[in-house]
Amino acid sequence: MKRKWSILVAGALAMSLMLSACGGNQQNPAPNNGGQAADGTPVDGGTLTWSTSSDIVTMNYFFINDTASQDVANLIFAYLYNVDPEGKLVADEAAIAAELPEISEDGKTYTIKLKDTPKWSDGKPLTADDVVFTYETFSNLDVGSPAYANFEKIESVKKIDDRTVQINLKTVFAPFETSALYIQIMPKHAFEGLDPKDYVKAEFGTDPKKTPTSGPYLWTEWKQKQSHTFTRWDEWWGEKKPHIQTIVYKIYADQNTEVQALVKGEVDLVSQIPVASLAAVEGKKGVKLIEGPGPVYDYLGFNFSPDNWPDGFVPFEGIKTRQAIAHALNRQGMVDSVLKGHGTLLNGPFLPGSWADAGTAVNYEYNPEKAKQLLAEDGWVMGSDGILEKDGHKFEFTLQFNTGNKRREAVGAVIQANLAEVGIKVNLEPLDFSSWIENHINPGKYQAVLLGWSLSIDPDAESIFSSNFFPPAGQNSGWYKNEEIDELWVKGYSTTDLKERQAVYAELAQKISTDLPYIFLYQQNIITGMRERVKFADEDKPVLSLPYGESRHMYYWWLAE
Amino acid sequence: MTEYLIRRILQSVLVMFLVSIVTFGLIHAAPGGPVQIFLAPGQSPEAIEVQKKNLGLDRPIHIQYIDWLTDMLKGDFGRTFKANQDVAGLIWPTLKNTIILMATSWVIALLIAIPWGIHNSTRQYGISDNIASIIGYAGMAMPAFWFGMILQITFALKLDLFPLSDMYDYGQEGNIANLIQHMVLPVTVLVLINLASYLKFSRSSMLEVLGQDYVRTARAKGVPEKSVIYKHALRNALIPIITVIGLDLPIIVAGAALTETVFNWPGMGRLFVEMAFAREYSVLMAITMITTVVVILGNLLADILYALVDPRVRLGARGGDAS
Repeated sequence: MKRKWSILVAGALAMSLMLSACGGNQQNPAPNNGGQAADGTPVDGGTLTWSTSSDIVTMNYFFINDTASQDVANLIFAYLYNVDPEGKLVADEAAIAAELPEISEDGKTYTIKLKDTPKWSDGKPLTADDVVFTYETFSNLDVGSPAYANFEKIESVKKIDDRTVQINLKTVFAPFETSALYIQIMPKHAFEGLDPKDYVKAEFGTDPKKTPTSGPYLWTEWKQKQSHTFTRWDEWWGEKKPHIQTIVYKIYADQNTEVQALVKGEVDLVSQIPVASLAAVEGKKGVKLIEGPGPVYDYLGFNFSPDNWPDGFVPFEGIKTRQAIAHALNRQGMVDSVLKGHGTLLNGPFLPGSWADAGTAVNYEYNPEKAKQLLAEDGWVMGSDGILEKDGHKFEFTLQFNTGNKRREAVGAVIQANLAEVGIKVNLEPLDFSSWIENHINPGKYQAVLLGWSLSIDPDAESIFSSNFFPPAGQNSGWYKNEEIDELWVKGYSTTDLKERQAVYAELAQKISTDLPYIFLYQQNIITGMRERVKFADEDKPVLSLPYGESRHMYYWWLAE
Repeated sequence: MTEYLIRRILQSVLVMFLVSIVTFGLIHAAPGGPVQIFLAPGQSPEAIEVQKKNLGLDRPIHIQYIDWLTDMLKGDFGRTFKANQDVAGLIWPTLKNTIILMATSWVIALLIAIPWGIHNSTRQYGISDNIASIIGYAGMAMPAFWFGMILQITFALKLDLFPLSDMYDYGQEGNIANLIQHMVLPVTVLVLINLASYLKFSRSSMLEVLGQDYVRTARAKGVPEKSVIYKHALRNALIPIITVIGLDLPIIVAGAALTETVFNWPGMGRLFVEMAFAREYSVLMAITMITTVVVILGNLLADILYALVDPRVRLGARGGDAS
């Protein structure tokens, strides 16, 4: 999977980092409202309507960088390897690879064996040439793929024979398995005759007729800004066959309308229902909801660069000050009032319940008195106007977030009120997403931000917390520097041994949550809504803790009439 | 007349040129560009440069403008950055959909508002006039999306009389009966919203005329009241109404982004909003230019209609120009 800014539903423009993957006991979705669907015998045929709040951008996989496009790509392109509900790499019945990769002694060489059966929808066989082409394209800077960074660790890719590919890495890099082996393979012949720098303009990926595919469904129609039609590919090479004849991916401009369409039965599946619209569907006849914590969280991020502060005075410099802020924030209150209970407190950078989370992160309970005490210990004195002062500087900062995101607007107001209580003045500054990213986040120019990440399966997050990833190239936009933590991230990905990695991340969670480059706030729940007639076997149910988990194995679902 | 038309067309070309320069400049000056949205977080600066180059965004803005203008004059609206789609192919279907929705609503609104407003002007503060006032205020005060949602919940969900949204049911594209069913709710919203101002306008414009000396003279001469109103007064009252109709003509293409959004109508208003967020410059430019053309045509049409309604207006005669 790739790193990405993704535009999430709920009008919520969330910044999202798709980190890479590997193993883990993640939380299973808790069925909420008749979520037990493992009933009945599969029936063939029917049309399932799946709604989305935005159209795809492209099916040209090298340039996919948004949720809608990836949703659709998952129906039409087979993966080299898949992941199981725990996020572990598997060579299952739908994977192009025949077995798990063979990893060399030094951990740097991966040998991949392909199945004999995979083919493209135009009849051509899917071979090692396509796999090599896919890796070479991603790692070619001229192509300009947004996922380029995921492939930087590759030293070389070579075809051993038609069914075998060997990848050599420059260094041992554990997240590679899920950042670069859990990928979809593209047809080399569809790009023939094009210069790599023109791949972005290829007809492949925009014209369904010129897009050979390899997945269980064929992309038969794209009506711009309205819908996509997918038809079951009867000659699909996978060992398990799909049931539903037609899947319509329907674009709704308004989320309210989208949710009402589910109630009316015009839509069968809504991947993510915003909390604000939940009342409209709860308890409605014919609708079932599945809810669980998603791989997403919001945080309050500090900026440590003196360039962003008057006289270069960074008020967050003291560790006690940061811990005081953590105590001053009523995070449970945010979950209860803003998320209406559809979320979970988060203390560290790893998803609770995943293999990387050892429960070592420090929990700061809501305690304004303790916050005041810590602030006093750090040298802050209450001024006559009720605002803390230190060395002639008032404790005042501007908190930025993206305008139009109702959740962050509300949480921003809670932060402002909570911190005012302990003598810190917060000025709220909502900004347009695109210009915010360009002018503030990418160059690291802000005082504090209210922002979120959407995580992929691997816990590695070096590029957001390490001082080797300062702006503009890295995502450590708050200029946080802690050499001990820098080293731990490297240690975490430099071994493929799960036990060793777990130990490193346990230590990291404890250290980061003590030092607090961010205040980790909460994980939002994902609420998937579907009509009762949508059925699936237990092993094919949605896994909400995985990226794109709402529609995982959708191609094995069926419709009861 | 011919001389007048030529002059107007030349003026129009100049206006369009200026509009295009200003819009192009404003769009490019807006913070955040297509590359920012396209790229992943943490993308290396080299990759950003490569992407900018591939998309042609690294060139100076005036060169980009000249390129755009040259293509435009050749009838090529360009392609989108992200999906490399043909902009014309993207816009024309949505334009058609918007015109179907907006023209229907607009014509219905005019057909109701003008006769009703004229009628009300003859019976000021009567029951009909008061009802019109209430509807007028309601239409002006109610947000389109809110009224749309109320209609959806009542007539689509509770009563199940009409479809919730969209232009056609899936697989029914081109079926007129299906289209009409889908149009009832959004057209109701748009008619109500447009009704308000046309009602007020036709009523007051008629009232003004009815207060004039020549109407009193006509009445004094013993002309029957019906004839006074519909023959003598109406003709003059129509002049300002025609102006408003001409000036409002562009709403037929500009669309109603909110109503289109709530009813998931695949129109141009909705497209424009989406494309603005995505910073698809070529789509924004194309829609702006189309709208500009219609604004100019609307004004021209209003002028020509003047001449037809009022013989005193002679197009082209200096000093007597109605524009």
